[in-house]
Amino acid sequence: MPALFPRWSNTVARGSLLAIVVIVCGVILGLMLWVRTSYATGQHASIAQPVPFDHRIHAHALQIDCRYCHATVEQTASAGVPPTAACVGCHNSVWLQSAPFAPVRASLSSLRPIAWQRVNALPDFVFFDHSIHVAKGVGCETCHGRVDRMARVEQAAPLSMGWCLSCHRNPTPNLRPRSEIVAMGWDAAHTSPADDSARIRLQHEYGVRSLTSCTTCHR
Amino acid sequence: MHAHDHDHPPELNRRDFLRLAGASVALAGLDGCSRMPAEHILPYVDSRPELTPGIGSYYATAMSVDGYATGLIVESHEGRPTKIEGNPAHPASLGAAGPIELASVLQLYDPDRGKSARVGSEQVQWERVAANLAPAALRSRVGGRGSGLHLLIEPTSSLLDEELLASVLTAHPDARIYMYSPMLGDGATDAAVQQYDIANADVIVAIDSDFLSTAPFHLRYARQFADNRRLARPTDAMNRLYVVESTFSSTGSAADHRFAVRPREVTTVLRWLLTSVINGDAKTEAPAWIAAIARDLRAHQGRSLVIVGDAQPASIRALGDAINDAIGASGKTTWYTTSPLVGHHVPVHKLADLVGAMDAREVDTLIVIGGNPSYATPRALGFSSLMRAVPNSGYLGLYENETARDARWFVPMSHYLERWGDARAYDGTVSIVQPLVNPLYRSIAPPELYATLAGTSNGGARSYDLLRASWTRRTSGDAETAWSDALQRGVTADAPMSRVAAPTTFPSDTNPFEGTAFEVIYLADPKIHDGSFANNGWLQELPAPLTQLTWGNAGLISPATAHRLNVSDGDIIKLSSGQRALELPALVVPGHADDTVSVHFGYGRTGSESAARDVGADAYALWPAVGARSEAITVTRTGAAQALALAQTQSTGAGRDPVHRATLDAYRASPSSVGQRSGRVLSLYPEAKPPDSNTALQWAMTIDLTTCIGCGACVVGCQSENNIPVIGASEVRNGRSMQWMHVERYFADNGADAAMQPMLCQHCENAPCEYVCPVGATVHSSDGLNEMVYNRCVGTRFCSNNCPYKVRHFNWFDYNKHLSETELMVKNPNVTVRERGVMEKCTFCVQRIREAEIAAGRDGRAPRGTDVQTACQQACPTNAIVFGSLTEPSSEMMRRRNQPRSFAALAELGTEPRVRYLARIRNANPEIHDSR
Repeated sequence: MPALFPRWSNTVARGSLLAIVVIVCGVILGLMLWVRTSYATGQHASIAQPVPFDHRIHAHALQIDCRYCHATVEQTASAGVPPTAACVGCHNSVWLQSAPFAPVRASLSSLRPIAWQRVNALPDFVFFDHSIHVAKGVGCETCHGRVDRMARVEQAAPLSMGWCLSCHRNPTPNLRPRSEIVAMGWDAAHTSPADDSARIRLQHEYGVRSLTSCTTCHR
Repeated sequence: MHAHDHDHPPELNRRDFLRLAGASVALAGLDGCSRMPAEHILPYVDSRPELTPGIGSYYATAMSVDGYATGLIVESHEGRPTKIEGNPAHPASLGAAGPIELASVLQLYDPDRGKSARVGSEQVQWERVAANLAPAALRSRVGGRGSGLHLLIEPTSSLLDEELLASVLTAHPDARIYMYSPMLGDGATDAAVQQYDIANADVIVAIDSDFLSTAPFHLRYARQFADNRRLARPTDAMNRLYVVESTFSSTGSAADHRFAVRPREVTTVLRWLLTSVINGDAKTEAPAWIAAIARDLRAHQGRSLVIVGDAQPASIRALGDAINDAIGASGKTTWYTTSPLVGHHVPVHKLADLVGAMDAREVDTLIVIGGNPSYATPRALGFSSLMRAVPNSGYLGLYENETARDARWFVPMSHYLERWGDARAYDGTVSIVQPLVNPLYRSIAPPELYATLAGTSNGGARSYDLLRASWTRRTSGDAETAWSDALQRGVTADAPMSRVAAPTTFPSDTNPFEGTAFEVIYLADPKIHDGSFANNGWLQELPAPLTQLTWGNAGLISPATAHRLNVSDGDIIKLSSGQRALELPALVVPGHADDTVSVHFGYGRTGSESAARDVGADAYALWPAVGARSEAITVTRTGAAQALALAQTQSTGAGRDPVHRATLDAYRASPSSVGQRSGRVLSLYPEAKPPDSNTALQWAMTIDLTTCIGCGACVVGCQSENNIPVIGASEVRNGRSMQWMHVERYFADNGADAAMQPMLCQHCENAPCEYVCPVGATVHSSDGLNEMVYNRCVGTRFCSNNCPYKVRHFNWFDYNKHLSETELMVKNPNVTVRERGVMEKCTFCVQRIREAEIAAGRDGRAPRGTDVQTACQQACPTNAIVFGSLTEPSSEMMRRRNQPRSFAALAELGTEPRVRYLARIRNANPEIHDSR
């Protein structure tokens, strides 16, 4: 009986089997890598805001405590963004009339909020609580980076579940005394072995546990 | 190859189908890979000291049913109420809330509510209606002294309303006020009401009285009753409850002895009991069980009580009074007080007087405030057509219902969660009703209407101002401090209602309708009451305690009667008496009285309440007269049938003994035989890991089946707290359910006894669901919870397949998709709203657990097991459910768990559940050998 298929079809058959395996693995690998890129996570993306609020002036130069504006960070899940009235508390004369402050004036007169663009966003199925992190000694800059050096606020960390777990599995290196929660540059300045032992002591003193149960965040 | 046209749509052949299938597989994985959508942050313009986004605020208020208030505490998020809880300081609540109270928050957001006032078919503002109601305008119609003005109000105990009604009568001296609700009937205008002290009654006989779940003070009675049945040790004392009834009620299921009698036999039973109690052991023609009850009552002189249901006529209740006199209960465990309802300073008349006035064409202006008389009156009265004949009729109500259709003008009424007012509990305790939110629509509250009628306002008065003025007038001393105190605590320090003498009525001598074949007994529905709550999905879907019926009513009959009529569940029977008839499906209830049919009010609605339309049959069409409890009827098969939406079709344990039961004597004789029968079961799976030293608390729950009365408050409380959707009657008929807690009901094999078992996720240590999930969406936490992670679930439903308790619920459809904007506001922001395709189940209120742990962490202390109350535990009126940590041996949960009568459900399967049940112990009277 004559051969139905030409000889080169064997090569095609073997090659396409190999190709399917490579393509499938490649697609999966590609998707996994894509999700971890900073484009997908939003890390370091510079996001424009309706009012060009500069943390370098307020948090660094003027040394305003983070909690003056983000007032509910120690009491509730959301740190909060200040109400329009908080801006006006200081900027009640010259700056208020300036062009960049137009959204503030509009908000005051219409009693509608200023529509800030969210930078650090978690999916809706994540229930994150700021107050417990602050109470257990996690500083603002640990997750949000050197906000006092940001002209526009950027997302300093990938905020992926893997990134959260990397601390939850081993929280001790990320702890600091509660009195230093808002201090910027504290982590960089405390890298010696003595600081590591101090962190272990804090872990015991604050009762910091390694929480990896799903319902810690997903309810 | 040719296309199979009858299988596929004609355009789609096999090649195209495979091409599409391949493409969709490839695309399926991609939606997880997009970036986070851009979101806004919208802070307030001005900071609000009383409101922190993310923290719930709690306010005390009160809800009135039939005029009697239950104090509540309402949780509110960002200015919208989301959860009702009981007020521990209020005597009618003691921290608990019933299904009606818990579900009332959903009614606030009901999209079918009336949204604007209407005159004829024209939408108007309230001010236009108010202008026509001012005395000057009204007098031209109703006469200089107001003799043509008639007001029909719902029963109310509001002191503010009474003051304002008095001022209406000042402006219109000959105007008449009528008070009516179907359940109170003519009793609404009674001068005195009967109080009970269940806490000090060791022997209670309840005759045709569902006092544990439908009396005005039922939450309190349930707690007092349960407190005397805790049985912390086998040797503890336990009270005893005898129930004599025609239907099968929750109180009947909680009874130690239950006797099913026909309605016409109730009088005879009472007479026999009276003679037995008075004559002692002298020979009597009374049956042995009545003689035994009489002996028990006499043996507990001064600590016993006979309760005759409010629906019985006064002449029958007088027999109960006589028995209470004879057993020393009068003045000790029962007494009469002045009624808290209005009628002391303002003359209030009965509905029959209004019907007479309408018949005689004396009524020019009829204003109906609340209630639904066009629907909820005996159809034979013809209220609807009489109201249509009234020249100027108006209705102030929540919905454009049957009464609104008959009225010329309609004004929407504010829900109690959006209005100011006051109300009294059954014992007279005054509470302020304070709103949680501004009225959602352009509605008004009754005080504003009364003030307009009285001419003290031109339609602009707000109920807040009226209430403050009234409060200041009637409060002696520092009114401001008393006001803040009353608002904060939810109760006022008022003196209780004064005791009065029992009403003197001669006990009836005649026996009603001897020898008739069938009788019907008319009952308030255990869920939607008299129909007021028919549009509430949570209540419609709540399985009725004994029948497990949802979304409709049925004629309840006993197995013997079903056999006699040759009907089974769902067969439509016709009940008729004279010109009146009612057709509804039959439902067989073991233990129901023979030759009797129970029908419940509240169904067969035809108004704007869309969820209630075409649900059930209207029993008011058959009701002969106001206050009629039962009557003789003829029952015939129609041959038609209807599928019933039953939440549980298995009515017995089928030999598998899911509920352990015993009598008190048997328990005392051998405590360990009642509890867990098997030890740890041999299993292929490794033993559950010991508690993580990382975690201090290990959550567990104990449910006491002796004190569970099956009211269903836990079910509604859970639904409210956890954003559980309503799935509708057709899904229930498909055998699906969504409520995470289900009160299972098991009749004992002879049908006389019904045990209730609240079933929820058992949080098994060896959970069968956990090791079959292919994606790891259900895992075990280090503190003992079986966790459900919605974002991982792909919907294989293998976990539900493997669960022996069947407590897992799947979102077959997107049940929240068609919710209106207001209905979405009731959702608890701390709990995920599940979408289609994910499994859900009880989480032990993990959001409350984590909140308590976070609060403890903020305060720098260790969290305690007693810091957390699950929603079901909080709602339960009898404290049957207790939650806590295994690591706290002195906690109430552990003390109960360690009782000899504690057992795990289906323990022989080796799941090691964290939920333990305490066996149902009946304090059986050894002289009574069987209950009918």
